[in-house]
Amino acid sequence: MIRERQRYRRVPDAKLLICISCLIFALIFASCTPSHANRIVVGSKNFTESLMLGEILAQEIEARTHLKVERRFYLAGTYICQQAILAGRIDLYPEYTGTALTAILKQPIGVEKNDIYQRVKHEYETRLALTLGPPLGFNNTFAMEIRGDDARRLNLKTLSQASAYAPHWRAGFGYEFMERPDGYKGLAAAYGLHFAAPPRIMDLGLLAPALKDRQIDIAAGNATDGLIAAFDLFVLEDDRHYFPPYEAVAVVRQQTLKQHPEVAAALAALAGKISDQEMQRLNYALDGQHRDPKDVAHQFLLSKGLLP
Amino acid sequence: MERTLASAPVIEFRDVAYVLPNGKPLLSELNLKVQRGETLVLLGRSGSGKTTTLKLINRLLAPSGGEVLVNGASTVVTDVIRLRRSIGYVIQDVGLFPHFNVERNIGLVPRIEGWEAERIHNRVEELLQLVGLEAKIAERYPHQLSGGQRQRVGVARALAADPAILLMDEPFGALDALTRDELQREFLSLKQRLNKTVVFVTHDLREALRLASRIALMDAGRLITVLPPEEFVRSGDPLVAAYVRSFADGCDLVANRGAS
Amino acid sequence: MNLYHFFVENHEQVVELSLEHLWLVGISTLIAVLIGIPLGILSARRPVWNRPVLGTANIIQTIPSLALFGFLLPVPWIGERADRLAILALTLYALLPVIRNTYTGIRSVDPAVIEAGRGMGLTGRQLLLQVELPLALSVILSGIRVAVVISVGLATIAAAIGAGGLGEFIFRGLAMVNNQLILAGAIPAAVLALTADFGLGWLEKRLRPR
Repeated sequence: MIRERQRYRRVPDAKLLICISCLIFALIFASCTPSHANRIVVGSKNFTESLMLGEILAQEIEARTHLKVERRFYLAGTYICQQAILAGRIDLYPEYTGTALTAILKQPIGVEKNDIYQRVKHEYETRLALTLGPPLGFNNTFAMEIRGDDARRLNLKTLSQASAYAPHWRAGFGYEFMERPDGYKGLAAAYGLHFAAPPRIMDLGLLAPALKDRQIDIAAGNATDGLIAAFDLFVLEDDRHYFPPYEAVAVVRQQTLKQHPEVAAALAALAGKISDQEMQRLNYALDGQHRDPKDVAHQFLLSKGLLP
Repeated sequence: MERTLASAPVIEFRDVAYVLPNGKPLLSELNLKVQRGETLVLLGRSGSGKTTTLKLINRLLAPSGGEVLVNGASTVVTDVIRLRRSIGYVIQDVGLFPHFNVERNIGLVPRIEGWEAERIHNRVEELLQLVGLEAKIAERYPHQLSGGQRQRVGVARALAADPAILLMDEPFGALDALTRDELQREFLSLKQRLNKTVVFVTHDLREALRLASRIALMDAGRLITVLPPEEFVRSGDPLVAAYVRSFADGCDLVANRGAS
Repeated sequence: MNLYHFFVENHEQVVELSLEHLWLVGISTLIAVLIGIPLGILSARRPVWNRPVLGTANIIQTIPSLALFGFLLPVPWIGERADRLAILALTLYALLPVIRNTYTGIRSVDPAVIEAGRGMGLTGRQLLLQVELPLALSVILSGIRVAVVISVGLATIAAAIGAGGLGEFIFRGLAMVNNQLILAGAIPAAVLALTADFGLGWLEKRLRPR
């Protein structure tokens, strides 16, 4: 009857609103604790080497533990990774001790790599509920690269020797190298470098080809650049120890290690297993040969006997 | 003694003035007494101050000068909420709450006064009957009612808590002539059944003559005169006469007044 | 692998990021509602507050979102955690629609209704809770709906500063030039926005005073 229908109209409105509000609240609070019960999430930054290390870490954990590993790679930089690990969205990711000290902890850098490793580990453990795995074995510091034939022709081995030729050379650097306090400015001061023209600034990926094609004569790349061997480039020795060490390590949440102690064993297994040259080869496999990261990582671990 | 009490005015204006915040005066030197049980009609053109006067009674406005007394107490001293709940208020646009049905509209004040549901329901039924509406209207919403039905509900709502005073601001002004006539007739019969003091605002002389026990003519914020209807139409006062004249069939009004 | 298989294989991550996204949007909208509705009521009741309140909310709205994220980064406590920062920024952006619609909703209540209510002896609070807010509810909800849809979009950008959510798929996909990843973020975000829009729109219609 009309009477029934119209009386029905008013009551649901208040109840409806309450029901829907409860639903929304429930949904919100369900999502505020993203817990991965038996999953480990491995993150990485958005460049080849980080991706490679992330995949190696992931596969080693998968091999040594019964845990499922989820990959959250190509996070856009140090800050993003840091936020993700603090919020618990990832459990571990590959970082460099030098970067952790300067970019995250915002402290002045030193030159002794062990000292830096310990300082970072201590700060992470006391302030951020994070810790470091053992160093993976290589030091991805800045590398001043020149063409191989120039090195042989002029018999150059160290940066001090090369600085004599600087006024005749064009330099090429990435944006970050120009801006960072431990970049170009400090280097020029430490070695008395004076270039004829201001350095050319370009994308990191373009430095090696530009060097090879003689558009520049010296570049600031990374010690583990994949194209060093491929393009016959030579890394000058940092004899005055200007560049700070950037040892590769895994940053892990202490909570993750507490919940899954077997992860520590996986990290320990990788200690010191990747040398500078080996990292170069791995990078080249991805950048130069465009192979699948999963295959490359698997092959590497196999060759090192790290897959039980 | 009893005579004095009986003749104590329910509502009294003592030298009341009202001035807008920007300085424009709407009322000045207003002295008026409303007796218990009478229907006082405030009559005048737009802008004469009659609505302002009405709003001073239930303190929707406060006097800038002088005093407004309701049941002997000044409106600015008594608790404004209690004052308003003891006065029924009916306006031209009715102002029914669109999200409440008729029953909840009428029962709102009783509900916030804490009456039990049963008592409210009975009162609503009683009032609907009083204003000439069917009981099943209680379930309907304002947008489903006609203009006349809405205003009847408005009156029922004003009477819900059984106030002794009723204020009505051109309540039938927005209705068509037939409905207006019908409602005026019902008002008269209601007046006889309930013993309320009513202050009624209108600009329509015919309505005033029909409904009033006394007519108070206002012009430009001043009270011109207060007279019972028969004396009003015969008054020599130029303003009154002018008003009467402007209603062409002024003389017939007295004769027709009985026909209700 | 086609898109469907991608979703099936990575459904856990999609769900996880969607929940992160929902958390950002939900909390910030909630706070915006808790702050915005009272401010809207204030500016509706006391016109003197109208310009400063709406004006401030308006100014906040015109700041480009990424710039606002950047401004807030150095702020202590807020800037330390990306999700706090994102929630603050999203709340600020959600304020204007909520405040403005609350203001409009209350002002659009028929003045005759207000006058009748006051004349009947309703206190200010009773008038607000029993008459004005129920009548303004539909318009207020419309403002909330706009706020939610804006937030879903802005939360995708928040991934740029590390707040997580579906935007992370998009940024990662861009870095890897992987369309599937981009879509894995874009599609659920769009679905979320449409669902919220539709759902709240339906509720709005239900609550509209006849």
